[in-house]
Amino acid sequence: MIQELIELFISFTKIGFTSFGGLSMVPLINVEMVNHGWMTQTEVSDIVAIAEMTPGPVGLNCATFAGIRVAGMAGALSANFGMLVPTFTLCLIVAIYYVKFKDSNMMQRILYGIRPAGIGLIFATMLTLGISNYAPGYVISIPSMIVGCMIVAVMIKFPKISVVKIIIIAAILGLIIGGF
Amino acid sequence: MRIKEKLKLAWRIFGFFFKIGFFTYGGGWSIIAQMEKEFIEKEKWLSKEELLDIVSVGRSLPGLMIGNVSLIFGYRMGGVVCAVAAVLGIVCPSLIVLMVVTYIYEAFRDNTYVARAMLGIRAAIAPIIGSAGIRLMSGALKDRLCYVIMMVAFVLCAFTSVNIVWIIIGAAIVGLLLNQDKMKGERDDTGIN
Repeated sequence: MIQELIELFISFTKIGFTSFGGLSMVPLINVEMVNHGWMTQTEVSDIVAIAEMTPGPVGLNCATFAGIRVAGMAGALSANFGMLVPTFTLCLIVAIYYVKFKDSNMMQRILYGIRPAGIGLIFATMLTLGISNYAPGYVISIPSMIVGCMIVAVMIKFPKISVVKIIIIAAILGLIIGGF
Repeated sequence: MRIKEKLKLAWRIFGFFFKIGFFTYGGGWSIIAQMEKEFIEKEKWLSKEELLDIVSVGRSLPGLMIGNVSLIFGYRMGGVVCAVAAVLGIVCPSLIVLMVVTYIYEAFRDNTYVARAMLGIRAAIAPIIGSAGIRLMSGALKDRLCYVIMMVAFVLCAFTSVNIVWIIIGAAIVGLLLNQDKMKGERDDTGIN
C-alpha cells in the first residue's frame, strides 16, 4: 500500500515536471499508467474524455482517477500532490522573485515583452480550443456553432455577466440544442 | 494580529478559488476570465498588467497551469500561506467531482444528457477566453513592437509545436533588449525565432 502510494506520487511528479499543461501531458500519462499496469489504453482515453467533461485540468483529473483505482482515496491524494510538486517548488521560487523584483526597472522591461506574448497565447488557445470544439475532427458541428453564437450574443448584450452564469446557460442550451 | 489577518485573507482566497474551481473548463483557461471579473473588476486586487504577468509566467512553467497561476496570485497577495490556500482552493473541486465520477464513470461517460450539456459548455469556452483576452489587451499593447510580439507569439503557439517556455523567454529577451530606450521602441525585428 505504502509502496503504491510512493509510486503514484513519483509517477505524477514526473508527469508534472515534464509537461506544460493541457493535452500535452496525455502521452506521458499514457506511458506511466500502462507501464505500471494501473490503467489500460482504453481507460486512459476514457479518462481524457471524462477529464474534459469535468471541471479542472486533465492532469489533476487523471491523477485522481488513477489514484483511486490503484489505492483509493489515499492514492488520489498522493497522485494529486505529486502532480503539484512543480507548482510548489519551481513556480514558488519564480513567484518569490516575481513579487520581489516586480517594480524593478529590469523586470519592467522583461514584462513589457512578456505581456503581449501572453495575449498572443490567450488568442492561440482560443483558436485551438475553438477548432476542436466547433469542428471536432475537422467536421463542423452545427449545434456547437449555434450555442457559440448565442453565447456571444448573450455576452455582448450583458457584458457584466459572470463566467459561472455563462457556463450554466451554455449547459442548458447544450441540453436543448445538442440533441439535434 | 497580523497573523490573524493573513489567515483571514488566506481563507477568503481559498473560498474564491474553490468557487472558481468548479467552473474551470477548457484546460483551465476560463480561469483567466474568472480572475479578470473577480479580482480586477470586483475586488480591485490586481491590475490587468499583473494578471497577464501571472498567466504568462504560470503557463510557461512546467506543471499545471491553473495550479501555477493560483500559486503566483496567492503569493503576490499574502505570501506562502495565501499561495497554498489558493492552490488547495483550485484543486479541491476537481478532486471532489472526480472522486464521484470515478465510481460511476461508465454511466457518466455514456450519458447522453451529460454529453449534450458538455457540448454547450465547450461551445462557450472560446468566447469566454476571447473576451478575457480582449479586455486584457489594453494593459499589454503599449506600442507597435508589442503588437509584433503578440502576433509572433500567437502564430508560434497556434501553428507550431514550439514549447511555450521558449516563446515567453524570447519575448522577455526582446523586451529587455529593445525597450531600453523607448524612443527607438518602434523597431520591427523581434528576435523571436
